[in-house]
Amino acid sequence: MTNQITLDMLDDIAAGAAFLATGGGGDPYLACLCAKEGLKAYGPATVIAPDALADDAFVIAIGGVGAPTTSLELLPSVDEAARVVEAYAEHVGRRPDALVSFEIGGANSLIPMVAAAALDIPLVDGDGMGRALPEATMMTYAIAGIAPTPAVGLDYAGNVERFDVPDVQAYEPVIRRFAMERGGMAVSAEFGMSGAELKACIVPETVSLSQRLGAYLRSGEGNAEDRELSLAKLFEGSIYGQLELIASGLVTDYTSTVVGGYDVGQAVIESSVAGELPMKVSVKNEYLSVRQGEALIACLPDLITIVDFETGWPINAERLRFGMRVGIFRIGSPEHYTSPEGLACLKDLIAVAQS
Amino acid sequence: MRIGIDVGGTHTDAVLVDGTRIVASCKELTSADVLSGVKAALHNLQEQVGILPPVDAVMLGTTQFTNAVVERRELAEVAAIRIGLPSGRGLPPGTGWPEDIREALGEGAYALPGGFLYDGRPLAPEDNAETERCIADIAAKGLANIAISSAFSPANAEPELRLAERILEAIPEARITLSHQVGRLGLLERENAAMLNASLKPFAVRVVEAFEGALQEFGITSPLFISQNDGTLMDAKFVRDFPALTFSSGPTNSLRGAARLTGIDDAIVVDIGGTTSDIGVLRGGFPRESNRAVDVGGVRTNFRMPDIMAIGLGGGSIVSEDGRTIGPQSVGHRLVTEALVFGGSTLTATDIVVAAGMADVGDASKVAQLAEVTVTNALATMRAMLEDNIRLMKPDKQPLPVVLVGGGAILAPKDLSGASQLLSPENSGVANAIGASIALVGGEAEIFADFRKEAREVALERAKDQARGVAVSAGGAQGTIRVTEIEETPIPYMDNGVTRIRVKVVGDLASLSTLEVQA
Repeated sequence: MTNQITLDMLDDIAAGAAFLATGGGGDPYLACLCAKEGLKAYGPATVIAPDALADDAFVIAIGGVGAPTTSLELLPSVDEAARVVEAYAEHVGRRPDALVSFEIGGANSLIPMVAAAALDIPLVDGDGMGRALPEATMMTYAIAGIAPTPAVGLDYAGNVERFDVPDVQAYEPVIRRFAMERGGMAVSAEFGMSGAELKACIVPETVSLSQRLGAYLRSGEGNAEDRELSLAKLFEGSIYGQLELIASGLVTDYTSTVVGGYDVGQAVIESSVAGELPMKVSVKNEYLSVRQGEALIACLPDLITIVDFETGWPINAERLRFGMRVGIFRIGSPEHYTSPEGLACLKDLIAVAQS
Repeated sequence: MRIGIDVGGTHTDAVLVDGTRIVASCKELTSADVLSGVKAALHNLQEQVGILPPVDAVMLGTTQFTNAVVERRELAEVAAIRIGLPSGRGLPPGTGWPEDIREALGEGAYALPGGFLYDGRPLAPEDNAETERCIADIAAKGLANIAISSAFSPANAEPELRLAERILEAIPEARITLSHQVGRLGLLERENAAMLNASLKPFAVRVVEAFEGALQEFGITSPLFISQNDGTLMDAKFVRDFPALTFSSGPTNSLRGAARLTGIDDAIVVDIGGTTSDIGVLRGGFPRESNRAVDVGGVRTNFRMPDIMAIGLGGGSIVSEDGRTIGPQSVGHRLVTEALVFGGSTLTATDIVVAAGMADVGDASKVAQLAEVTVTNALATMRAMLEDNIRLMKPDKQPLPVVLVGGGAILAPKDLSGASQLLSPENSGVANAIGASIALVGGEAEIFADFRKEAREVALERAKDQARGVAVSAGGAQGTIRVTEIEETPIPYMDNGVTRIRVKVVGDLASLSTLEVQA
């Protein structure tokens, strides 16, 4: 199945991707602006279903890496997604047959579309996280044992660095250090793999899901409570578990700092139900867990999405502020992260979430 | 004594207040030139009291600057310069703006290398020759309204300040808006805000002059203050520099006015005008702010604005024959000629409430022949519009007092679901003007804290205390001061722990005599 991503779909995809981003993934507004300028210049991008990919096709994953807060000030450039793919192709001496996203959550859903449009290389409908997660080691590609390198990083100024660190545990700090040394955000191309390999580990059809999700968020009206049922229906029959509105309340405190390349912080949300204990949301680029008193009411690998209560619109962690009224959704994780391998890969993050 | 004036899209309201006592109030139609409406209102006040007593201050709320942006008029051409290359290639200033307003501001968009990174290091070296070329181009094009933004200017505004200085050397008549003065983190939104502000400056000069002229005609020499979004006041000179800070002061004033009129601090406020009903939420006496990035005329900004839901229900809203559809079309200020009760031929929401015997406006006999089913349906539609949207705005399921203000408050039924009580206070028709007349004092403090050496809670308290001190010395009444904004920006200058904390507080003015000090 082949589809086109046209200019008019980008707002929907951005909104849906922000919902799936669980607070992370960078500001989809900027990536969307960038994608719009890209598609205006290069025309639509082609999307193919994972099944349509030949087993021996050569696929690479691309996206941005870094601390989302910095992208509020260090703006992306329209040409950088295509440039990192070109730099990769030059490095390995082979042009990829298809591109795939690191993660559907947030800006990384849109960055590959610009490259796909500019270079006329199809984009696979799906991604390596089904959400946003903070580390390269957490991509389903890595869990499946695919080597992240050869890889190429490109900074805001167009400087290219090549990496040959095939152990993903070793690669992750290296690419992150690269991003942090170059202003906090960079783009990279990595995880060169075959079509067969990708099909075995991709979180499928998340590009099309985010488009449907976004179309609903943008067209419908109502607050988080009113929208719960319709949103739950959109996730039915998908690779995700159930969606549920678990709480609502007022943000009374939010603090975050850039630590080791991540936005690390905690939000305190006063429950809208009188007499209930306040909720503490732990953040490491994404929302990791929600604790109410002693009780852990949502925790990784669940997806936790915090929305503006009045509109149901997702709020990125870096935009969370004192005084906001929010709703908290919990969505069941795809089995990629509930499997023993998936849970093992998220072990440290789950420990942070539970602490 | 002071005078509060609110210039709205349809009506210009004015009140003369003595402390909390309303001495006189009036409602006039807003004139196309704005000024004659203001003069008519002042004249009306004068008629009511005989001779206008000396006033300490005139407080003015005006939607003129918002309307100018929304209607794309009175906007000056702008040269927008962003210091941030090589980041943001392909996304020049003005990207993502609706085409019509981009055209109104002209194509003067420039990008220069420079700015800072999150860690305090320079983003790129500045290019002297490039800067010279940019300034020469702006001078050649005769652009005098200039917006400058630079990457991470809320943390380090040096590049914006230096460029402004250079531009002023070359173009002495330049009116420059620096992004760090009008916005927070978020380069694009802050730049947009600076561009809108720069574009409004020439209009602001004319507006302030016109208002001051009008006051002089009435022998009023006391200082003129204009309301900002957050309900605090700015003096006339400040408005000339920062007209964009008046955006959305109308709804803020109406919410603050409702709190003053009822003495209730937590409520839903429904301001029913001629064309729309604006529903807002009072929390602790202040408007609840919007969580979303705020679009002003389709341009994304990061101004703090009250969270307002506008629905198409007003006194002039046109009602369908069966009564099932109301608005969003409205006869607006032509209500007094086009509505049935005024001898016109258009069925409006006002006609419905007169026919139902809920209000006594115009000639009730003109609507006596209206089909009963039309009236019943229309009343049900109005009730549903209000109840549904109040439910959406309500903070939770608990019933809250609902305060009705504005000239169209007669449209509301006697009871509404979700309302613990329904209040329609005396003088609610001029709530905006009353809101404008409440002198609020602001205070702001900015500190740098190293959370490794000072606990965050302690640092926050220190910033709050400092801001409260500023507000008190500006005339704020001790017990009324509250924190409205806390902003933390990590500034890790190669060092991972320093955070800039900015705290904003507002409070009531302790006494009028201190107003001059604040000016």
